[in-house]
This record gives sequence, structure tokens and C-alpha cells, in this order.
Amino acid sequence: MRLKKRRSDKFACWAFLMPTLIFLAITALFPLLYSGYLSFFRLKLNLPNQQPVFVGLDNYIKMFTDTMLHTSTINTLLFAFISVALEVVLGLMVAMVICSDSMWSRVATSIFMIPMIMAPVAIGTLWRMMMDASTGVLNYFLSFFGVDTIQWLADPTMAKISVLLVNVWQLTPWVTVICAAGLKALPQDCIQAALVDGATPRQIFWRIVLPLIKPVLVIVVMMRFTDAFKVFDTIYTMTNGGPGTATEMLPNFIYKQGLKYYDAGYAAALAIVFVLVMAFITLFFLRLRKKEEENVW
Amino acid sequence: MVKRRKSQDKASTDYVISNFAGPYVKWGLLISSLVGVLFPLYWLLLSAFKLDRDHRSYPPVFFPSEFTLDHFIEVFTKNQLMENLINSATIAVVTTVITLLIGSMAAYAVQRGPLGRKTKDFFGLWFMVQKMYPAIATAIPVYLVMRSLRLIDTLAAMIIMNTSFNLPLVIWLMMGFFEQVPYELEESAMLDGSGFIHRFFNVILPITKPGLVASAILTFTATWNEFLFAVILSINKAKTLPVVIAGFITDRGLAWGPMAATSLVTLIPVVVLTLLVQKDFVKGMAMGAVKG
Repeated sequence: MRLKKRRSDKFACWAFLMPTLIFLAITALFPLLYSGYLSFFRLKLNLPNQQPVFVGLDNYIKMFTDTMLHTSTINTLLFAFISVALEVVLGLMVAMVICSDSMWSRVATSIFMIPMIMAPVAIGTLWRMMMDASTGVLNYFLSFFGVDTIQWLADPTMAKISVLLVNVWQLTPWVTVICAAGLKALPQDCIQAALVDGATPRQIFWRIVLPLIKPVLVIVVMMRFTDAFKVFDTIYTMTNGGPGTATEMLPNFIYKQGLKYYDAGYAAALAIVFVLVMAFITLFFLRLRKKEEENVW
Repeated sequence: MVKRRKSQDKASTDYVISNFAGPYVKWGLLISSLVGVLFPLYWLLLSAFKLDRDHRSYPPVFFPSEFTLDHFIEVFTKNQLMENLINSATIAVVTTVITLLIGSMAAYAVQRGPLGRKTKDFFGLWFMVQKMYPAIATAIPVYLVMRSLRLIDTLAAMIIMNTSFNLPLVIWLMMGFFEQVPYELEESAMLDGSGFIHRFFNVILPITKPGLVASAILTFTATWNEFLFAVILSINKAKTLPVVIAGFITDRGLAWGPMAATSLVTLIPVVVLTLLVQKDFVKGMAMGAVKG
């Protein structure tokens, strides 16, 4: 009787798993394998009824000589490192400032949540409007301080800074909200004990708060960093990679290869390499996090 | 995460943390960040109700003397925004329901089901890596498959892809919430003769409601805002709101007024929804960060 029951439990358990497994296999695993297959072929999407032509490793070899790809890789790396650094430092600082149970801190949290739930496409277009060189409100503000017209999105260097700025606006609140939740869960007695011992606020921050919040920061950095590589919506709406290739990032680049130049084989090869690199980064962070957990908890 | 709160001395601890660099830094940072977040939102609101001539004027108009609903009327009558709104809502709601149902089932099976340790670890790692998966990597093959299945420009295609991208996150979140359910509760239900399925729906789900709410909001918002697959898989009939917003960018420049009106229509539902369940939402997101 008991055995029978356990067997029925096991059956139910797999039945619970099956929908998800089948779903993910079809919609995530299969496309990835299909990408791997396509990456060895030349396939132009714009020509109807075209048969894929086997080209071996050509699509992968092309990556070594594709200067556009190199530019967008460097752009993406720079973007990821700088945006994550800015967002984490700023986000943690604001999180500490709003660390309180009072009314105004809850109101501030609600306000900070708006950018992170706003459609990134809407964020991109909104900032594009504000960054308009001739009628934009940003240039108007700066004109009070005697700053000449800034070509926010038309100048290559400024465009890079602009997309960074918008990303910081969009995602610092996310870091803030997560860090604020982490700060609230800090063990109170450590800080109280330090206060009794006469520690200064600065010492408390560097010696107690920062080490205790570090596991949360590691995860925040991991999620933000892997997410930064996927930036697409705001780039697409603000600059579409321009001017020239100044703000071209990998997702936008792959998108263009596949759905603008219709080179499905090359796009598939790029996607495969991209996934491998992302998986590598994820595993690196997971290992880091494991180490962190062992140290702290 | 360690949850230890002692109410008696909390005020002073919070005070120490929030004054880590003195009151000037504190208030300066707070005010500048609030202004930084709020001003663009005010500008969006203003642009949606501003007259066309105010859009073109320089210096920009900060406090218009006249407001208009023309931009909203224009997008709802000329651009059939209602259709897009219904598309977005349908896709987001159906995706949320499916994802929550099969996602929490899978999470429960992995967390509490009679599986071996290795099997559990394998699934855990799979869902984790899947969460980091760049959507663009599947874009081309998905496009090709959907094209051959004649699913381009259908709501079904969008629901399928959104479910796929939100499942790993929901599973991960729910695994965290199920982990906190005490074993004793399940054991006593088991002794009462309740099977796996009955336990899940009648014992476990009711007490993990906060987790379900957080997962639902996260999935709904992500789907509502999703753009990459929406722009690849839709032509006309299945267009969602983000695609419409991006569509205002034309070679002749942006149609600011209608664009702002559409953005506002897109923003308001998720803001209302999030504020309604803010506590659960924040908790769920923090869980996701700590667990994920």
C-alpha cells in the first residue's frame, strides 16, 4: 500500500514537470540546436524558397574579419562594465538613504519603481524626445549654465554617453529596490554593537554594512551584468546603433544581420557564440556567488 | 536570506545606515534622485496632453496654459490603439496564467517531489542558465519556425515565446517560496491521506500566495513590455503597445504627442497594478535576486 502510494507520487511529480520540460525543450532548446545547425549554412531570408547551402565553418571564420562585430563587441563590453558600475554604486547609495520604515521612504520606493516597470521602448522614445538637439528640454536646461547645444544622439561620443545615461536612469532604481530589501534584512545587533563601541558612521559602512550586503551585491552585479549584454529596446529606439556604429551593441547587431540583411546563417553563428559566452559568464558568477555564500553564511 | 528584525532598536539602525555620509549627502542624494526620476515622467505626462504648437516651441513649455486630449483621440481613432491594447492585454494575461500554472507545478515537483538529489540539481541549474539566456539567440530560428507554421502575426506565437522566457524566472522564484513551507505541514497532510496533487493545490498554493502574486506581476510586466519578439513576430494583427510606440519613430522624425499618449496608455496599467501589490512585488523581486 505504502509503496503504491509513493509510486503514484512519483508519477504525479513527473506529470507536474512534464508541461514545463516539453515547453522549454520546444521553445528554447530546439531553437538553440536549430541555430547551431543553421550556423553551418548560408541562408538568405529574403529570397523565397531558397535552399540552405552548406558552407562549413565560413560563418564562424567571418567573425574574425568582421570589423563591425569587433566594434559592437567592444561597445557592449564598455557599456556593460560602466553601466553596471554606475548603477551599483549609485543604487546602493540611494538604497541606504531610503533605508527607513517611514512614510516618505515608502513613497520614494514607489516612485523609484516606475522606471523599472516602464516599457523600455517608451523609455527610449521619451529620452529621445528630451535629448532632441534643437527642441529638447535637456539642452534648454543646460543653456542656463551657458552650455552650448549638445548633440546628444548625433555625436558619436555623446551618443555612447546618452545610452549609458538612459540605462542608468532605467535600472538604478532596480538596484536600489533590491539593495533596500537587503539592507532591511541585515542583522541589527552588529550595527547596534558597533554603535555602543563608538564606531563612526563611515566605519560602520565600510566594516559592517558593506561586508554584510556583499552577497546581495554579487547577485545584483551578476543579474545586471548579464542583462546589460542583452540591451536592445532602448538602443533600438534611441539610436539604432548609430551614429555610424557608435552605439552598436551585440543584440542589435545580431538582429540586423538576421532580420535586416537577412543573413540567417551568420546571425545563427553569432547567436551560438553569444550564448556560449553568456553561459560562461553566468557560470563564473555562480561560482563567485557560491564562494561568497560559504564565506558569509 | 537572514531575516532577523528587532523592533526595539530598528529606528536607530536605519538612522545610522541612511545617514552614512551625513545629512547633506543624504538629502542631496535623495532630492536629486527623486527629481531625476520624476522629471522625465512629468515630461511624458505633459507631452501627452500638450498642444501641438507647444511641442514645437522653443523654449519648451513647462506649464502649458491649455491642455488637449487630441493625441489620445488621434491614437485611438486613427491608429486603432484599442486593438493593440487588447492584444497586449490578452497576451500578457494568458501568458501570466499559463506561466504561473505550469511554472509553479514544475517548481513544486523539483523542490518537494520525490526526485533524486542529482536530478533536482540538474533541473535547478538548467532553469538558472535558462534565465540568463539572451532572447536574441533564438530570434532567427523562432522566426523561421513560426513562419513555416504560419504563426507569424498571431497572438499564439507571442504567448508561446513570452511563456518560454518567463518560465525559468517563475520556477526559480516559486522554488524559493516553496522552500520556506515547513515540512511538517506537508507531512500532516500526507498522514491525512492527501496525495501529491491534492497537497499542491489545497495545502501549498494557498499559503504561498505572496509568491504567486509577485511572480504574476513580474510575468505580466515583462510580457506587457516585451519588444524584441513582438517586433519580429508581428506585422499588423498581433501588434502590441511597445511595437506601436517604436513605430512612431519615422524618417520624418517623431510624432511626439501621439507617442507620449501611447506611452502613457502603456505605462498606467502596470503602475496601477504594481502599486496595488507593491509589498509582495518588492519581496518577490528581492527573493528572485537573492535566490537567482
